[in-house]
Amino acid sequence: MSAMEQPASSPDAAPAALDVRDLEVTFHRRGRDLPVLKGVTLRLERGEAYGLVGESGCGKTTLAMAALRYLAANGTVDAGKVLVDGQDVSTLSEAAVRRWRGKQIAMVYQDPATALSPAMRIGDQVAEVFRYHEGLDKKEALERARESLRRVALPDPDATLRRYPFELSGGQQQRVVIAMALAVNPSLLVLDEPTTGLDATVEAEILDLIEELRGRINASILLITHNLGLVRRLCERVGVLYAGRLVEEGPARDIFTDPRHPYTMGLMRCVPRFGMNKTDAALQTIPGTLPALGEPLEGCVYSARCPMAKPVCTRREPDLYAWPGDAGAQGAAQAESMPPDPAAYSPHHANPVGEAARHARCYFSAAVSTMPATTPVLATSLEERGGAEGAVLEIGAVSRSFKDGRRRLTAVHDLSLSLKRGETFGLVGESGSGKSTLAKCVTGLIAADSGSVTFEGKLLRPTAGRRSQDALRAIQMVFQNPDSTLNPAWSTRAILTRSVRKLAGTREGSVRAKVDKLSADVRVEPRFLLQRPGDLSGGQKQRIAIARAFAGDPTLVVCDEPASALDVSVQASILNLLVELQTKEQVSYVFISHDLAVVRYISDRIGVMYLAELIEVGSAEQVFNPPHHPYTEALLSSIPKLDFDSEQQRIALRGMMPSLSEPPSGCRFHTRCHRILGEICETQEPPAQVAADGHTYNCHIPPDELLALQTGEEPVAPIAE
Amino acid sequence: MGEERSPLRPGPDLAEEASWVDADPEMLELQADAGRKSEELHADAAAALEQKRQRRYLVRALLRSPTFMTGLIIVLFWVFMALFSTFITQSPTDVDAMASLQAPSAAHWFGTDDLGRDVLARTMAGARTVLVIAPLATMLALLWGGIIGLVSGFYRGLTDEIIMRLVDVLLALPIIITSILILSLLGKSVAIVIVVIGALFTPVVSRTIRSAVIGEREREYVMAARLRGERSAFVMAREILPNITQPIIVEGTIRLGYAVFTAATLSFLGFGLVPPSPDWGLTIATERIFLQIAPWTVLFPAAALASLVVGVNLITDGLSRVFSK
Repeated sequence: MSAMEQPASSPDAAPAALDVRDLEVTFHRRGRDLPVLKGVTLRLERGEAYGLVGESGCGKTTLAMAALRYLAANGTVDAGKVLVDGQDVSTLSEAAVRRWRGKQIAMVYQDPATALSPAMRIGDQVAEVFRYHEGLDKKEALERARESLRRVALPDPDATLRRYPFELSGGQQQRVVIAMALAVNPSLLVLDEPTTGLDATVEAEILDLIEELRGRINASILLITHNLGLVRRLCERVGVLYAGRLVEEGPARDIFTDPRHPYTMGLMRCVPRFGMNKTDAALQTIPGTLPALGEPLEGCVYSARCPMAKPVCTRREPDLYAWPGDAGAQGAAQAESMPPDPAAYSPHHANPVGEAARHARCYFSAAVSTMPATTPVLATSLEERGGAEGAVLEIGAVSRSFKDGRRRLTAVHDLSLSLKRGETFGLVGESGSGKSTLAKCVTGLIAADSGSVTFEGKLLRPTAGRRSQDALRAIQMVFQNPDSTLNPAWSTRAILTRSVRKLAGTREGSVRAKVDKLSADVRVEPRFLLQRPGDLSGGQKQRIAIARAFAGDPTLVVCDEPASALDVSVQASILNLLVELQTKEQVSYVFISHDLAVVRYISDRIGVMYLAELIEVGSAEQVFNPPHHPYTEALLSSIPKLDFDSEQQRIALRGMMPSLSEPPSGCRFHTRCHRILGEICETQEPPAQVAADGHTYNCHIPPDELLALQTGEEPVAPIAE
Repeated sequence: MGEERSPLRPGPDLAEEASWVDADPEMLELQADAGRKSEELHADAAAALEQKRQRRYLVRALLRSPTFMTGLIIVLFWVFMALFSTFITQSPTDVDAMASLQAPSAAHWFGTDDLGRDVLARTMAGARTVLVIAPLATMLALLWGGIIGLVSGFYRGLTDEIIMRLVDVLLALPIIITSILILSLLGKSVAIVIVVIGALFTPVVSRTIRSAVIGEREREYVMAARLRGERSAFVMAREILPNITQPIIVEGTIRLGYAVFTAATLSFLGFGLVPPSPDWGLTIATERIFLQIAPWTVLFPAAALASLVVGVNLITDGLSRVFSK
């Protein structure tokens, strides 16, 4: 964090990198006016990194688009101004805007695959920036392109220049996009969810890169994300947006250690803290849903969902008050004696935004630190859930490969594991590690090439189509994508009714009752049953999908990233629901996720997959603490944590994930391992080391040595690129 | 826990910590009120409304589309004429030997043909056969092509491979020549023309539907159906089919345009209908020898035919544009 020490602004009156003043943006859709931003004011000093946080639909991206003058055709700026480097964006001509974008302001989008043209070579795309903005000829531009690729640490820039985007990995693509954005030294760099689609280790690499670049370029950064950990790592200041309003703003450290708006507090409480488990504490969800665009809101935008709202909050909207300031102190005093009189508070911008360090749009900022927790612990221990009863599922030496042209990709290789009744087995690994293929082999959506899946002592047939109706009932699945998991042409009730008929085999009269019970269990109100999936929110759709899986009282539910596509507050409620259902129904879960904190929270045992193999298995706590497999260690170190106290040490993995068609010899991880011993790793398959009861990992390093290495007795060897 | 649960009350075990929240009945009342209001607005009415609005939006977008509306008006005009022209115009079959090949006049707006029949009456009535043949043939093609496309796209693998290679072979056959051969073999009745056109359009339709099915079959709701043990026929007909209606409708209107065209061509070539039917294709064929001395006998039916094809195509354009929005 070298840039943190830099002074945020020079004392002379240089214009701010981004100065947004009372910005109001409205979208017009099908004859309705939908206000998206309602008077947002924020200021980025030169060289500053500012994180804009909030759930989807809060207006984060709209703000960035307004700054770039990229608003969609149906969006208008109704009031306010956006100044970039002192230049009012709205006064630029069309031609000037084109020159100005890229030169003064640049953007890195969420999905690098769509940000790059698939039909152009990387070299031509990057060179185009120089040819357009600096009028260089083809040769010079290519030379500069090569230089800029080197700057973002792409290995072998010459080869990369000749490649097409599809020949690069997601992380490399994002590096190219960043290289293009920084090509002509813009004064403001907008990053819109720059790592959301990337794996944890790749995300960490991109963050390292951005952090490292910050020391060398003088661009200010506006980081838009829902991931608080990301902001914590990159940004000095944070703004929290809710329903088009800036509800809190201040230095990142202060906001994350001591939030002063109930929404910020809610956001922080609904993500699993690192190392948190369901048996210790429950995720605190935010009640209610984000107001729909255009929905009239009285008083504070957050009052309908706020656990500390008081009558005054719905009567008059609070201003953005300085904290700790007169307002804060008065607010605290007034909170004691109710009902408070709004007139007693300091007028709008008593401390103009930008002068005071912190602001919160709340009358009761002082009370936020004692905001009540509302969700009790939902899970009982595994023993109480009947976990001692023995194995429900046993996977024996399952392999599965796919044909890809002439090559064979082995997605799951000789994998065995077992699962107890009522237990949650978390499966982690980066994309392409074979998690989903394994899940589909268990449910029978894909037949395993070899090996056996034994369920409650009976061997299961390989495909769902050949399994008995009872076996289907007992093993169900919850899918990842809320938008395609339910048939859009069916009503929700029809979906559940069909599942109950097929799986529970209930007689005509009680089907209805069973459907009502299912929807009550997943907390979807009966009136939603009349609707089609298109009219439900993502969270509601996923709830119905869970109800569908539970239609026949299953024994095992395979959850493939069930909450990954949802906003954090919705994700929390889905995870809580799964935990609650497990406690009630004694069901076992195989829970797949790339989010380690989520897996740690929900799982009793965890398996780590790398390149089609299960390389480590143990209880959640065992896997997350040394000694653990070097890959697990690297994965864990790559998560951006919210914690300010412990400075985490990042372990950078070398190179890229090898191809599944030609897995490395010996230990599959040896090509990237930071604890490689030497030849033995390249030639011999590692033995399963037993670190503790039920905790094994595949590595040549024995547990005691690994423990010594990982607890820091010996320094990590520097990695040669 | 429920993100949809609106009025929030803390759990009983937390009541002490949160006593000051409980202590505010007015607030709870307010929140509950607001919650109820917004929920009602949101869920019950609003979502049902939204669904209706979506549907109404589609209809309104279509009504607002000049392309679609022009096409619709043209097609409806010919449908109306096919049904009621006999009540409006003179008889299309009344021969008047004294008034053959007369130029357009007040008595005969479109003139008369070689047998002195009113061209206006014949042109208006000429839509009748085409408007029977084309839609029925299209529906047959949609039915067969739909079944083939569903099976092929759903099973993939060898089934798909075999069916699609057969389709490739059929697509390589020139439609007019093939239909002439079949019609020469089977005889020339309207019913056979319908079946032949339907059969010849089937391969193209099946391709379109197959690709739509392939897009749907990998979706998670299809996997969910397999996991509850649904038969393949059920998955195809009940799960997938309702979700590919839009491409089917668009494909149907495209085929309809071609079917009008093909039906007219076949009757021009003498397959299907016999004189004195006022059918456009037939009329153009029989009157074309008078093209130089009495062009109206050919031009008016030809323009009518063209307008119907254009009308159907405009509908297609309007539909696909609105659907793709």
